[in-house]
Amino acid sequence: MKAPIQPPKWAARLLHWFCAPHLVNELEGDLLELFAQRVRAYGIREARRRYVRDVVSLMQPFAMKEKREKYPQPALIQPAMIRNHFKIAFRNLAKHKMFSIINVLGLSAGMTACFLIALYVHFELTYDTFNQKADRIYRVAADIKTSSETLRYAISPWAMASNMQNDFPEVEAFVRVQKEETLIRKGDLKFIEENTVLADSTLFRVFDLKLLKGNPKTALVAPLSLVLTETAARKYFADADPVGQTLMLGDPSEPAQVTGVMQDPPANSQIKGDIFVSMSTYTAHQDKNIEREWGSFGAIAYVLLKPGTVATAMERKFPAFVQNHAGKMMAEQQMQISLSLEPLRDIYLHSTRPADESGNVDNLYIFSAVAFFIMVIACINFVNLTTARSVERAREVGMRKAVGAPKSALARQFITESALMCMIAFVLSMAIAAALLPFFNALAGKQVSKGIIHELPFVAMGLVIAALVGTTAGIYPAFVLSSFEPVKVLKGRFTTSIKGVMLRKGLVTVQFAISIVMIIATIVVYTQLDFMRSHELGFTKDQMLVVQAGTGRDRDAFKASILNFAGVRSAAASAAVPGSWTPQAYSKVENISGEMQAGNLDVYRVDFDFIRQYGLKVVAGRAFSKAYSTDSTQSLMINEATAKVLGYRSAGEAVGKKFEQWGRKGVIIGVVGDFHFKSLQENIKPLTFRITDFWNGNLLSVKIDGGDVKQTVSAIENQWKQANPDKPFIYYFLDEFYDRQYRADERFEALFLNFAALAIFISCLGLLGLASYSTIQRTKEIGVRKVMGASAASIVGLLSKDFLQLVGIAFVIAAPLSWFAMHRWLEGFAYKTDIRAWIFVAAGLLSTFVALATISFQSIRAALMNPVKSLRSE
Amino acid sequence: MKGTYLGEFEEVVLLAVAILAGDAYGASITNEIEQQMGRSVNLGAVHAALHRLEEKGLLSSRLGGATAERGGRSKRFFTVTMAGTKALDNIREIRNRMWNAIPKPA
Repeated sequence: MKAPIQPPKWAARLLHWFCAPHLVNELEGDLLELFAQRVRAYGIREARRRYVRDVVSLMQPFAMKEKREKYPQPALIQPAMIRNHFKIAFRNLAKHKMFSIINVLGLSAGMTACFLIALYVHFELTYDTFNQKADRIYRVAADIKTSSETLRYAISPWAMASNMQNDFPEVEAFVRVQKEETLIRKGDLKFIEENTVLADSTLFRVFDLKLLKGNPKTALVAPLSLVLTETAARKYFADADPVGQTLMLGDPSEPAQVTGVMQDPPANSQIKGDIFVSMSTYTAHQDKNIEREWGSFGAIAYVLLKPGTVATAMERKFPAFVQNHAGKMMAEQQMQISLSLEPLRDIYLHSTRPADESGNVDNLYIFSAVAFFIMVIACINFVNLTTARSVERAREVGMRKAVGAPKSALARQFITESALMCMIAFVLSMAIAAALLPFFNALAGKQVSKGIIHELPFVAMGLVIAALVGTTAGIYPAFVLSSFEPVKVLKGRFTTSIKGVMLRKGLVTVQFAISIVMIIATIVVYTQLDFMRSHELGFTKDQMLVVQAGTGRDRDAFKASILNFAGVRSAAASAAVPGSWTPQAYSKVENISGEMQAGNLDVYRVDFDFIRQYGLKVVAGRAFSKAYSTDSTQSLMINEATAKVLGYRSAGEAVGKKFEQWGRKGVIIGVVGDFHFKSLQENIKPLTFRITDFWNGNLLSVKIDGGDVKQTVSAIENQWKQANPDKPFIYYFLDEFYDRQYRADERFEALFLNFAALAIFISCLGLLGLASYSTIQRTKEIGVRKVMGASAASIVGLLSKDFLQLVGIAFVIAAPLSWFAMHRWLEGFAYKTDIRAWIFVAAGLLSTFVALATISFQSIRAALMNPVKSLRSE
Repeated sequence: MKGTYLGEFEEVVLLAVAILAGDAYGASITNEIEQQMGRSVNLGAVHAALHRLEEKGLLSSRLGGATAERGGRSKRFFTVTMAGTKALDNIREIRNRMWNAIPKPA
């Protein structure tokens, strides 16, 4: 077979690959001509060989270079051109003030919201991370299992600390903290310090709390030592040096020495307080046996593990450790203690154990989503408004193209414009955010930020994001605008494409769908909160004043002294009131099968008047009564929930059954109807009542007349001051106190309401822009219609119809989504309202109304315009 | 003057263009040089020289007709410019002068 008389294909391909296009033709011609001649002269093999050699020899710079353009390409970035872009951009902003304001306002509103939410989310996510050793710090939490339930505590047995330090070489340091309310006096100054913290001397070794004055190693060693935060130091000593000074601590008070001043702990620290008291004050001074108690729980314990320790491996040794030290006690008490380690950084957001403050990951997700959607709405606005203006810009684009602007230069121009707009919006939003921060802190109930100066990294990040948003949001309009054909545009036969209109309508629909979801969510949250506030609680909480009145005989005397006041109806003492914390007592109660069922039950220690005053219904048996001498030591009352736990079918069956609890033995004398002593988020738990001991029951509930509340309160206050000149008068109203449990939810509602309003506001801005655009488009049509006899009302209707359709579609999308989301949210409540149809109707009507109002700005003006004006020019 | 300096191979190519007078293009020049000098020449070397000479202004070019042998691809014809003729004359004169300067054997 003879090879075809052809040069090697690969060499030809090589030539085409490297050779500049304007040369390849003639060079290949030469090559082919020589090849043909050489085939004749030397034969095919030699010709092919020479061909390859020639191709290779042609791989030289001259052959690869592109031909120079006839007209030199201008540099990509030219100062003059950029200056021109900015000039045109500013002129455009100034010329269309309305559009510019709407656009910038919408964008900056969105940015502000995002910025604030980002601050909040960051604040929550960085809880406790200021501790450099945070990854080695764990909280030792205890679960207590009894025959009836498992209690999950954040606190741990008092005896655990010293034993754990001795038994585990992995432990580098161990610290216990316990928050308390303490009376502090200095001369005439007296305060109940709500944020006093008992802490071991190792506090400063485990946590990165900075001691400004004093020795961190010894400051909290001796009993009756105090470390003040800067704020507390200023409060008590103004500018004087507090170290070495004395404060009167507790009630009855003892002198305690200030040994140090520390920097205020960060707002997002679990270890928070104003005054830190040495733990030894309690363990080595007030209750010397407590360190040996395995059955007493208190104080939250944190361990700092040595580097390289595996927490799970250490946890595996805990059962043996507990059994070794507390085995006997647990067997006697029929309970089982198990310990676990919780990483410090996960506690705030993820731990479900009771805590003074805890975050909610779900809320963070919700807020992040809200921020994201608000930004989406704002961006959609931006895109919509910019493309909508394309008609006006069309001639400019046409001229620029005719003069020779390439598409890329035009796209650059429009992106510059949108970036500029974003920058203006960014500056504006930072100013707004700075002004809003104090309000936002109040709304969130936390010092999320001290001021915008402290958030420079965030501002910088915001700037980057703003630039990014400006560019991306500018891309679509830029390409739409720059793709206009100059011939068509300049002839004046310009119509926007159907596709563009559809896209804009789709975007508006999305905006409104998001807004409607937010409206519905806000209404549902509101109705749920309203439901909780007005729900029948099973006790009287109105006009109930709660006074911290001390214990024992002092309190009884005070109670007697105010009973004959004009506005006071009755008074009752107790250790807990609805909505407050209740202790749990290890109790044994006879159940339906006659066994002594053990469990930890909530305890109300009350006096003889409590049941009556709170309007609690006694459904079986009788209430406590002074007529029975045994009531103060051998009687117990329970609620219906307890009777149910014990297996009794009716409340009456429980009366007369035996109980043992906290050193008392006797019988159940009565059953109280269930009432909500905790928030409605929880189901009603078993509860027991017993008569107060002389050392507790410091809350005096005073039922007062509705008439002159102020005067009654001040009369009581005067009486208190007379009787107790050295103690502050502390009181609150029960209804406010009880509703405080819903504060987190109320905050959630307030935040949601604000952001929903913002979302609607931005959506409306978008709608306004779009409506004004479309009315301008239809000016002539409206003129013709009016000439033919259309009424103003029919024209308004015509213009509104299109947009109302969009709102309708948005509603259809939003309703099921929001139903689903809010249904999930409500599942977190034990007692919840239904999602009723009226909520959707209301949301639909509201959004329709807002949309109509927005459109009417433009449509009414258009409808009233004189047709002569709109038709004259052509 | 750097611009007018001619390398040896450039000189040969320039001469070949002058010889071919009006029918000078890549392939024909290559053949001409091979015949005149009796050695094979790479097309790449020829074109590189042509390119340089054109840049120096000693040659000018125009695109011209195609043949079937070339697969229909056009030729680029080269002609010697005035400057090119002058450069050749110049070289020849220098050479002549140098030849003349060689002392004749007595």
